[in-house]
Amino acid sequence: MRIGGSELKLEKRPALTGWNAALISVLAIILALVLFSLIFILAGINPLVAYQEIFSIAFANAFGLPLTINRFVFLVLCTCAFIIPFRAGLWNIGMTGQLYGGALGSFAILFAFGAKQANSFSLSPVILIPLMLVAAALGGAAVGAIAGFLKGRFDVNEIVVTMMLNFIMFWLVAFMIKEGGPFMNPGGRGESFELPASAYAPLFMGIPFTVFLALGLALLLYFMFARTKIGFQIKAYGHSPAAARYAGISATKIPLLVFVLGGALAGLAGYHYFAAVPGVYKIARNYGFFGDLAFYGIICGLISLGNPLAAIPVALLFGGLSIGGRFAQGKLGMGFGVDYALLGVLMITLVAFQFFHRYKIVRENTGENTADVGVHR
Amino acid sequence: MWEFTARSLEASTIFTFAALGELIDQRSGILNVGIEGVMLFGATFGFIAAQSTGSYWLGFLVGITIGGLLGGLHGFFSITLGVDQVVSGMGIWILGFGLTTYIGNPYTGPLGLPRIPTILGLSPFFYLGIVLVVVTWFVLSKTSLGLRIRSVGENPSVAEVSGVSVAKTRYLCVTVAGMLMGLAGAIYSLDYNPVWNYNFLMGWGFIALALVFFSMWNPFILLGGSLLYGTLWQLSLNPQLVLPGFMSRYLWRTVPFVTTLGVLLVMSTKWFRTRWGAAKPEALGTPYVKE
Repeated sequence: MRIGGSELKLEKRPALTGWNAALISVLAIILALVLFSLIFILAGINPLVAYQEIFSIAFANAFGLPLTINRFVFLVLCTCAFIIPFRAGLWNIGMTGQLYGGALGSFAILFAFGAKQANSFSLSPVILIPLMLVAAALGGAAVGAIAGFLKGRFDVNEIVVTMMLNFIMFWLVAFMIKEGGPFMNPGGRGESFELPASAYAPLFMGIPFTVFLALGLALLLYFMFARTKIGFQIKAYGHSPAAARYAGISATKIPLLVFVLGGALAGLAGYHYFAAVPGVYKIARNYGFFGDLAFYGIICGLISLGNPLAAIPVALLFGGLSIGGRFAQGKLGMGFGVDYALLGVLMITLVAFQFFHRYKIVRENTGENTADVGVHR
Repeated sequence: MWEFTARSLEASTIFTFAALGELIDQRSGILNVGIEGVMLFGATFGFIAAQSTGSYWLGFLVGITIGGLLGGLHGFFSITLGVDQVVSGMGIWILGFGLTTYIGNPYTGPLGLPRIPTILGLSPFFYLGIVLVVVTWFVLSKTSLGLRIRSVGENPSVAEVSGVSVAKTRYLCVTVAGMLMGLAGAIYSLDYNPVWNYNFLMGWGFIALALVFFSMWNPFILLGGSLLYGTLWQLSLNPQLVLPGFMSRYLWRTVPFVTTLGVLLVMSTKWFRTRWGAAKPEALGTPYVKE
């Protein structure tokens, strides 16, 4: 393309520096939000007003901010669950199924101690809550392990497997909480029994302790990738499984490991939303909605380019956008699903921007007509 | 029992159309994991068009068109921009899932049009599906166009040297594939189950993706697989018709997915690969850059 005396050209990037990558990600988010304005315009709403509404509900509102932080915790965990396999070159789109596994795991602990019948509970929360956390991590890890094992041992496409597991787990949860399932609410409302009050997660200023857990885990992951041998092995496998094998890295172990770790984190996300967030404390009838939210983890993971620390601000932004979108839609008189639509638009913009990870636009003087135009760059 | 059989055949039709699209995609070397997204788009826009105009023809036309456009979008990302095809497919799927939830929501509920007339007790699309399978097989294996498609799927640089435009051939394939997927979605929402609800497909597209892997990229095996899965799916929806009182109906819903995992596992074993592994298009999933 020619502009004046210079020519715009596409050039292959040798390598992507961290700052360039961050810049591309930020531009992608901005462009997505601009594109998303169309949705507001089509609904007859001034996009500036809409965004102001969304951001003020999400970040500057005593009602919205705790919701944003709770969703942020959920998204950080889901993002990390995506990132770990992603660094090994594998796609975990099964956070949904893994978080259901985590939810079932922690409710299984409660069930085992008789929480379904008796609402009073003898077991001390100091023992109970760690037990629930471990069970949630194990539940998620078990679901993840299936995909990791099949990938590592038999090279079965992990995208199809994790997606199948999402559906399997979705119906498994339905089986457990509905129509006489073991976890059914005694009142039979198509949801699970409620948490006994003694099993509520401790709160700090209205936010469950899982926020520290999520931040700590993201930090830990960052160091795992930056400093440890296992982190290096995962990255090496991600660059080239064949080369990694020559270096003595097990091609069966790494996929299993990354999916177990990822699954465990997604399981904790399940614990967070179903057993720690104030006001929920059960596997709700609309549990599918929480599962759908996990797909934001893919977007956060892609935008943060697999960096667990970068995932923190990204998850906060998207947590806020999805909460703000959800509550702004009522206030602005829009239909259901604004947060879903945002998810879609963000994702597709991001895909288009992947192009700039490989190419850059450079401006070159063509030389011939610079003299008569008289403009030099 | 006839009712069950008929519904199974109609369900298999949807798998046939969607998976046939994906098969054409993959034979040209393009992997589209976003079938479910394209289907959701075709289904939702087809539904809206049919309901607001009262014309089935228009509904299907819109479904096919939007499917073709999305197929083209996937082509633009993966052929022109050279984006990782998995990323692009995931993008199409999440776009479909997200946008249709918002756009279709005001239309939640039944379609409210007289049902499409059946031919010999079956949806006309069942017969169309069989015809399309034969046509696809014929085009892919007996015509020069098919040879072109297969050659860009196997070895694009050699195809380019021998005068085949890889980009053009692939664009043709992704667009036709998208149209078939969009039509599959429209058949679902206009004929098979004419009620709109958000994210109503619940895995049809992903099963169709797996079906293509099972089919060894052969349209006839694909048809057989679709028939099997159509029946299985219908069984999982109405288990009481065949095996009353056996297993919770929610657990039945997992059966098609568990079966898929099982089949994928068998297909990935060394024993299976060494015998039939060569059917996979060699260049599947790798972006081709003309040097």
